[in-house]
Amino acid sequence: MLSPKDSPLGKLLRQYVTVRIIRMDTIDIGLFEHDRNNTIYFYLLNADEQIYMRYGGRDNASPDTYLNIESLTLAAAKGLELHVNRPPAPPRPKPDFPKNYPLLVERTFARNQCVECHLIGDYQNLHRQQDGTLDKLVHLYRSPDLKTVGILLDVPKGLVLKEATGAAAAAGLQPGDRIAKWEGTEVWTFADVQHRYNETPRKAKEAKLTVERGGKMVDITMALPPQWWWAETKFRQSSVEPRFYFDDRPLTAAEKQEMGLPVEGFASRVKYVSSIARTMELHALQEGDVIAGIDGKRVDPDAHTGSLYLILRKSPGESAMLEVLRGGKKIEMPLKTIQMSFRK
Amino acid sequence: MIMRVLLLFLGLAAMAMGQDDDIVWLDNYAEAVKTAKATGKPIFLEFRCEP
Repeated sequence: MLSPKDSPLGKLLRQYVTVRIIRMDTIDIGLFEHDRNNTIYFYLLNADEQIYMRYGGRDNASPDTYLNIESLTLAAAKGLELHVNRPPAPPRPKPDFPKNYPLLVERTFARNQCVECHLIGDYQNLHRQQDGTLDKLVHLYRSPDLKTVGILLDVPKGLVLKEATGAAAAAGLQPGDRIAKWEGTEVWTFADVQHRYNETPRKAKEAKLTVERGGKMVDITMALPPQWWWAETKFRQSSVEPRFYFDDRPLTAAEKQEMGLPVEGFASRVKYVSSIARTMELHALQEGDVIAGIDGKRVDPDAHTGSLYLILRKSPGESAMLEVLRGGKKIEMPLKTIQMSFRK
Repeated sequence: MIMRVLLLFLGLAAMAMGQDDDIVWLDNYAEAVKTAKATGKPIFLEFRCEP
């Protein structure tokens, strides 16, 4: 039988003040700033509210991709070490509280309803949209996926690489490397890395890492590929992004050339259409259609698919005119977008 | 699945802690900070979404 209290993690937890928060009403979300679409997230800190490390993080595939008792045990042990040998404390972030978001207050607090974690992020973005401060590349594409740059972690071992492919392999990262620093800041967990990675300016062309390899520290500069920040966002239940209910994939350079489309363009092939699109009469796309252009444009510096172009350049409720290639014919197809309903 | 195991673990840990004064799961952050100041212990803070 599982005996948590006497397990390695249980023994470590006994050396902490343990606290579980399920209501965010009074929490300083400026200090405890993380992707609110995590169902569980941990901080190890001291009484001065100096955060030693974070633990948690997720990807589109699953909320528990990076959750593991072994790596949590490693983190808890490291947290105790850091508590003895305290690193310098970084400046404290500006305080922020859920009550600072009027729509969140109106639709949750004021109705004595639970402030669900994801609603905090959703309403922050809604306010940013209203204030004109929404940066879609940053705020919609929160938590870039490390796998996009070819970093696959051996999750039970924390930040040890199981495999390096793509940009990571090209930069010289190797299986067995342990990521020790991200942009010069020490990192101990996947959540630490994801937090730092998310702070990377979206126009950045490279990221600097330090890895521990065979007992030595090795500095690595990794070239970031185009759209390195892109990740699936379907697990975000409500969002200010426009919804249109189809999925697509980028065409390859060879496919674009064969169709006479610009190689640097965002032409994509539709791979899935939800019945919701037909029910709501949003568009008439079919699987296999090629989106060659939108509103007369075929190239965008940030988009690599038609769907990404729509997310980045359209607001919910806006319409667009698609240039669709189907069976060798070109079709001008209107498209409407909608917004997922927030709690009202 | 992993998260369910983790939640089960932490849930069982919480139950065990209820039976063992060595560990107490607080539900108030300010109280946790106060206790950490008094004991010199670090804080293990869990945010869990329970809609």
